[in-house]
Amino acid sequence: MKPAAPVIDPEKILRDLRELWAQLAKDQGSAGGVLRACSMTLIVVAEPDDEADAESARTTIGVLMHGHPSRAIVLRPREGGEFSGRVFAECWMPFGGQQQICSEGIEITADSEQSDEVARLLVPLIAPDLPVVLWCRGPRAFLDRSLDPFFPLANKIIFNTRAVRHPTSAIEFLRRMRKDGRQVADLAWTRLTGWREAVAHLMDACDDGWLAAASGEVRIEYGGGRPGTRSLYFARWMERALPGVNVTLIPVTGGPGVHSVVFAGRGAETSVRLGEGSSLEVRTAERSYSAVLPPDSEECLMREELSILGRDPVFERVLG
Amino acid sequence: MTDSNPFADPLRFERQVPECAIVIFGANGDLTKRKLIPSLYRLAYERRLPATVSIIGTSRTPLGDDEFRGKMRDSVKEFLEDSPFDEDQWTGFAKGLHYIAGDLSDPKLYSAIKDKLTALGRTNVLYYLSTQPSYYGEVVERLGAAGLGHTTAQGWQRIVVEKPFGHDLASARELNQRIHGVFDEADVYRIDHYLGKETVQNILAFRFGNGIFEPLWNRRYVNHVQITAAESIGLEGRGAYYQEAGAVRDMIQNHLLQVMATVAMEPSAAYEPDAVRDERAKLLRSIRILRPEEVPLYAVAGQYAGFRHEPGIDPSSQTPTYAAASFYIDNWRWAGVPFYIRSGKKLPKRTTEIAIQYNTAPHALFTPDAGGVTMRPNLLILRIQPEEGISLRFLSKQPGSGMRLRPVSMDFNYGVSFGERSPTAYETLLEDALTGDATLYTRQDMVEASWQVVMPILEDWANRKFEYPNYDPGTWGPTASDEMLARQGHVWRNS
Repeated sequence: MKPAAPVIDPEKILRDLRELWAQLAKDQGSAGGVLRACSMTLIVVAEPDDEADAESARTTIGVLMHGHPSRAIVLRPREGGEFSGRVFAECWMPFGGQQQICSEGIEITADSEQSDEVARLLVPLIAPDLPVVLWCRGPRAFLDRSLDPFFPLANKIIFNTRAVRHPTSAIEFLRRMRKDGRQVADLAWTRLTGWREAVAHLMDACDDGWLAAASGEVRIEYGGGRPGTRSLYFARWMERALPGVNVTLIPVTGGPGVHSVVFAGRGAETSVRLGEGSSLEVRTAERSYSAVLPPDSEECLMREELSILGRDPVFERVLG
Repeated sequence: MTDSNPFADPLRFERQVPECAIVIFGANGDLTKRKLIPSLYRLAYERRLPATVSIIGTSRTPLGDDEFRGKMRDSVKEFLEDSPFDEDQWTGFAKGLHYIAGDLSDPKLYSAIKDKLTALGRTNVLYYLSTQPSYYGEVVERLGAAGLGHTTAQGWQRIVVEKPFGHDLASARELNQRIHGVFDEADVYRIDHYLGKETVQNILAFRFGNGIFEPLWNRRYVNHVQITAAESIGLEGRGAYYQEAGAVRDMIQNHLLQVMATVAMEPSAAYEPDAVRDERAKLLRSIRILRPEEVPLYAVAGQYAGFRHEPGIDPSSQTPTYAAASFYIDNWRWAGVPFYIRSGKKLPKRTTEIAIQYNTAPHALFTPDAGGVTMRPNLLILRIQPEEGISLRFLSKQPGSGMRLRPVSMDFNYGVSFGERSPTAYETLLEDALTGDATLYTRQDMVEASWQVVMPILEDWANRKFEYPNYDPGTWGPTASDEMLARQGHVWRNS
């Protein structure tokens, strides 16, 4: 049976927020006061019944606030959970600064089946006139339709297909959403930025030999037993960039993700391979060098996505 | 990344500085210690420089590589802005620091630089002139004589020239000519660190990224513009330089005219180096040149009490520590709108801002009432430093009965909306030069146009004897400056 209608009054949450700010101002009054910062609403959907995931989300939000101060709304779905809401603030002192900067947050706990009601509650809680980003942390969006009511609220929806069981279906789901006019992102794609950048810089510094190599075939080696979304994205990106070139995905032993890309043709080979630590080993006919992969922590990936609030034409082309 | 690169993704990929060397002339000077090395360290800290970057410092002082590294380490620790010092990061960065002692007039210095670059395998080289300006021409010519300074298929060779670019129009032209004897104009980066400030760049974003301000950005709505660069400090050890330069050469000819050009220029067709610089140059060329007889009416010189007792200053010095001028722009957008510019030392506080004063409402609808105001022009303040941001002042009804109006301010604070640290001007400009982006650098025609604007003032003042001092430290400058605005019905915004 569907749980009872929500008992949270959005006006009360907004009132709590005002009181929170008044209290912060009072507490910090003698120390230079606080500055209220907000550049977007960030709605974060934690995994159902997963306290650790919700805590991890809160930690990441705390880091993200420094660069992307926002009104964060954390949704904690809980089986049979009571509908409740509370407000919080994330504050930090900029290096060398004298005034604390604070961003506000709202945490809502609700039964997993109450998505429609929660979505209605969110409407008045969204900071007006600013972008709204929805971050669906786990694979739930691909398993059932429970997150669908939240999609129309957001200007951008960030998914993470890293752990999905059916990568091709997940990509198809994102492609459909894009076709429906939604702006979507996938942290699995964001993880490829370091790889893609290394290949792009290789192209910039290319000589005729590398161009010849790229005109033959491209072999992408991946681990994890089957190609995940990262490997599939990488292959599609290559196909879009080098039309007519044969791109092959080859399984190798090792952890999931891309392990190497080899451009081969006319007797020449250029390769980019996963090296020690977080580096890539680039080898051309003329020289070898290392490129450092950027950190792929959740906050780094999210920071990259939050800095792109408009269209992302390259990812859109890859989705097709 | 080139436009033709099929893998390009400008939304996500950082600009990449290629393997290169930076050769700093004047490596023992203040600029290197306070700005250049801390900025380069910070770029390295953020992985915006290749791990293999080489920095070669040169100056007359005999030092070994390790001594130079030690001195630079102390400087970075002292002058790094808004960042912690990371010992591990420094260790990696310091490996790329090298030092060559030598005389700028000695060809052996340039041979040694060439040998060092060859030994390091660096073909992309950025030379940075941070020496006494009188050496600029000679250094460039000696680089050329040593076979350095020419961009080839093997690598680029660029030069960054610090201000001042000459001490008048003739010397600026001569310097440009000597530089062009070795470097192409495309490889010459004349640095004006004001243009690298985030808040100055934000003027372009504010004007051309929004739809609502540009329609109000013209003679029909704007009454006048005030550009102020006030310093509360005095010479701070720069007596020898400042005595020769004075306020016009130190601030107005370069920084403030560039800021004025940014405020008043037409939109460029694209945000590309030459498109933006063309518009800045056009604006600078549109500034009306004062006739000699107009200078006393439109320009004011000042010197603070006590300046002549500063170390290194001539007791009868005629150097102005304060300068104010009224400029007009002869184009359709700005015809008749005064742009007042002032800069001075020992003023009440440190502030750089642009105040755009709009015309008052055409008709006073509200009658005067005790304690209230009826008419007050709207003011748009673009704050460059400190407390970077934008404020709009307008009238609002005072709460309570009756219709009393009171000015209120709507504020945007740069640091609050973007909680992360902004790069310093030198970080931005150094990275730009290393990636070949000259948008924020000044071009020969811009430099010459701005000299042309100030030359009548400099020539007039050189031929007059002022009754100095004419303002006290901690005041807003000489009364003649207030009178200059009063003649046009305006007052300085002193707050």
